[in-house]
Amino acid sequence: MNNTFLLLRPRLISAINSMRPRNGKHNWPRFFMYGSLGFVFWTGTFIIFYRVLFYFQSIQDFGNILAMKLISMLIIIFFTLLLFSNIINCLSHLYLSQDLPLLHSLPVSSENIFSSRWIISTFDSSWMIVAFSFPVFLSYGLIYKTGFSFYLTFPVTIVFMCLITSALSSILVLFGAKILPAGRIRTIIIVLGVFMTLLLILVLRLIRPEQLVNPDSFASVVLYLNSMQTPDSPLLPTTWITDIIKASLNGEIKNCLFNIALTGTCAFMLIFISNMIARLIYFDGFSKSQTTSKRLFAPVKYKGYNWESLLSFLPRESKAFAVREIRTFFRDSAQWPQLFLIIALIGIYLYNFSVLPLDNLPIKAVYLQNLFSFLNIGLAAFVLTAIVARFVFPSVSREGEAFWIVQAAPVSLKKFLWIKFFLYYVPLIILVEFLVVVSNLLLRVSPFMMFLSTITLFCLVPAVVGMAVGLGAVYADFKSENPAQAATSFGGLLFMVLCFCLISTVVILEAGPVYSIFMADLRGQGISLLQLTWSVISFVFAFLLCLLAIFYPIYLGEKKLRIR
Amino acid sequence: MINLQELTKDYGTVVAVNKLNLSVSAGEIYGFIGPNGAGKTTTIRMMGGILAPTSGKIIIGGLDMAQKPAEAKKLIGFIPDRPFLYEKLTGMEFLQFSADLYNVKRDTFLEKAQKLLQQFDLLDWADELVEAYSHGMKQRLIIASALLHDPQILIIDEPMVGLDPSAVRLVKDILKELAAHQTTVFISTHTLSIAEDLCHRIGLIHKGTLSAQGTLDELKHIANLGEAGLEEVFLTIIKENTFI
Repeated sequence: MNNTFLLLRPRLISAINSMRPRNGKHNWPRFFMYGSLGFVFWTGTFIIFYRVLFYFQSIQDFGNILAMKLISMLIIIFFTLLLFSNIINCLSHLYLSQDLPLLHSLPVSSENIFSSRWIISTFDSSWMIVAFSFPVFLSYGLIYKTGFSFYLTFPVTIVFMCLITSALSSILVLFGAKILPAGRIRTIIIVLGVFMTLLLILVLRLIRPEQLVNPDSFASVVLYLNSMQTPDSPLLPTTWITDIIKASLNGEIKNCLFNIALTGTCAFMLIFISNMIARLIYFDGFSKSQTTSKRLFAPVKYKGYNWESLLSFLPRESKAFAVREIRTFFRDSAQWPQLFLIIALIGIYLYNFSVLPLDNLPIKAVYLQNLFSFLNIGLAAFVLTAIVARFVFPSVSREGEAFWIVQAAPVSLKKFLWIKFFLYYVPLIILVEFLVVVSNLLLRVSPFMMFLSTITLFCLVPAVVGMAVGLGAVYADFKSENPAQAATSFGGLLFMVLCFCLISTVVILEAGPVYSIFMADLRGQGISLLQLTWSVISFVFAFLLCLLAIFYPIYLGEKKLRIR
Repeated sequence: MINLQELTKDYGTVVAVNKLNLSVSAGEIYGFIGPNGAGKTTTIRMMGGILAPTSGKIIIGGLDMAQKPAEAKKLIGFIPDRPFLYEKLTGMEFLQFSADLYNVKRDTFLEKAQKLLQQFDLLDWADELVEAYSHGMKQRLIIASALLHDPQILIIDEPMVGLDPSAVRLVKDILKELAAHQTTVFISTHTLSIAEDLCHRIGLIHKGTLSAQGTLDELKHIANLGEAGLEEVFLTIIKENTFI
């Protein structure tokens, strides 16, 4: 046991050291930013749940059923998320971390290594869900006016839930790694997980929740509510956890204690079993993970064409970087799930516009359609930001330790960054213009709005991509084990905040002039000289802002890379 | 071919290279030795254009690295001490990438690449992803790619790390042959026997400054050591700190 805690020390010391100022630079802006975002998200969750539960309480008979169904759904969602996150973390911490060969060379048992890694994995997988489940349960406690015992019960329950999911995941991973190399299991699980998520999103969307406002379908809602009172299986830990919360909310002490005992014993039993299994098979699985797995797809023999010939119109250096970027990107299995998610996101985005009941609206349709179209500029730009944050921002960090090749190559860093810029700019401008044109066609907007949307996004796409490439270079982390995580780093968050500010400013700058022009057109009148001057100044200012967002971050990025 | 003038790198907390002056002529193999943390890798990285100096000049083939970095780098074949590569490219794809960057003639690329892969015993692995390569194979691939564009100057940091004895022999032979054809070779190494074996001149860096330089005989003379090997010379010069 002492060895287990000894093995945890480097992690603890590293965490403490990471808070120290580096090169005289304090970390407080970083902590402030993360803290503020966390606080906003935490408070937002609390307000939303409090309002929803308050509203439920106002509905006679059904209110309580809905609140209880909601808690049971939340427990299942938390449990599933924890299970999935634990599987991924267990694989990384137990089999794929770079320091594992060193740990296995130390005079400690593989059981100690397993235990220490399991504790780290459990913490990493659970802290966020624990943190953000608190406002949910707090809102339940306040609405149900529970006693102090509820605030003791739910943290214990959540901890038991984390332990159960972590122990279950480690058992699954231990057996999985015994059969397949760990790297391959991770790919398969990520792809399967994403497919399941996509399926869930599509099913939820195709149910068309907007039809619930239709009184004709109310009868089916009553039937649905009746079915909600059916109890869940008593053999599942999620049922015990839900029962603890429900009993605690209703003040049923005996029922609550019985289910806590059930959940707790289950958690400790699973931990004991996972340790037993680890003692028998962990090292075998680790040993297997040290061998390189075969490629998922058979290697293509070198033929001198394919991407090379497709991009042969580019200057040679640009082609070299483009081909390399495309190949390394698509061969990295960690990118595949993200691509599937984007495809689903685009499908749902367009589907949402196609089901808008434009012909049955009580408000004047022309006005609303064009308002939607204008708001769609911002929406499409935010979708773009999400995609860019995930793919473009980490692109400089993805060079990793091989960045020396770029530094030693006879290509300037400025050129390198501009090649990256154009490499992502071209597909993204096509994607975003496609999104906005198709959604505008579905909205049947005026030619002016179609023109405005396409032109605005034509300026915003390079601005967002330029900021991603530039700030991605400023905050590049070439030593990260997972460069994709750059999107959630300080630099990634700063990029998203700046993009939000840029997009909002451009939309706000355009809103006034667009309204004047649109209304004048609707009334068949011309616009005044003042309105014209205002419009020109606003559009020019928005354009200049986009230009600044393209060039300045890339300049900063090049400067930062040069002095590294 | 290589001329370093008052080259300095100050990391803020430590001066890694302090007013370094040296020059290496065409066809010369120059060995750069020194204890750990002496400033060898920092110097090499500055010469390769990977690190910007705090002050001083790096002249490569008559070109100032600060003024014309791209042109200067075209003359160099750079081999770092740790073989970090693009793991998701195959060996042949990596060579193609290098060839495009260094503008190797398209019509000769394939023949040249296959010859180098054959020479470094990597031809059977040409279509495998680099992630499947061993440390030594990655190192051999980097050397092959550095030779692909027939550089006038080779800058090598610890060339033999991770190589098996036959590959060490091969690299030594290649370097001697290149030098015979007027290629300048600048090697930083800890392996004194290699420096002794291969280099025309040796420079000894300690605490960021050049403590001594010359042929092996000149260094023995400087250190007042008659028939001693390079190891004795090295230890004596390090102990006495400077002979310049």
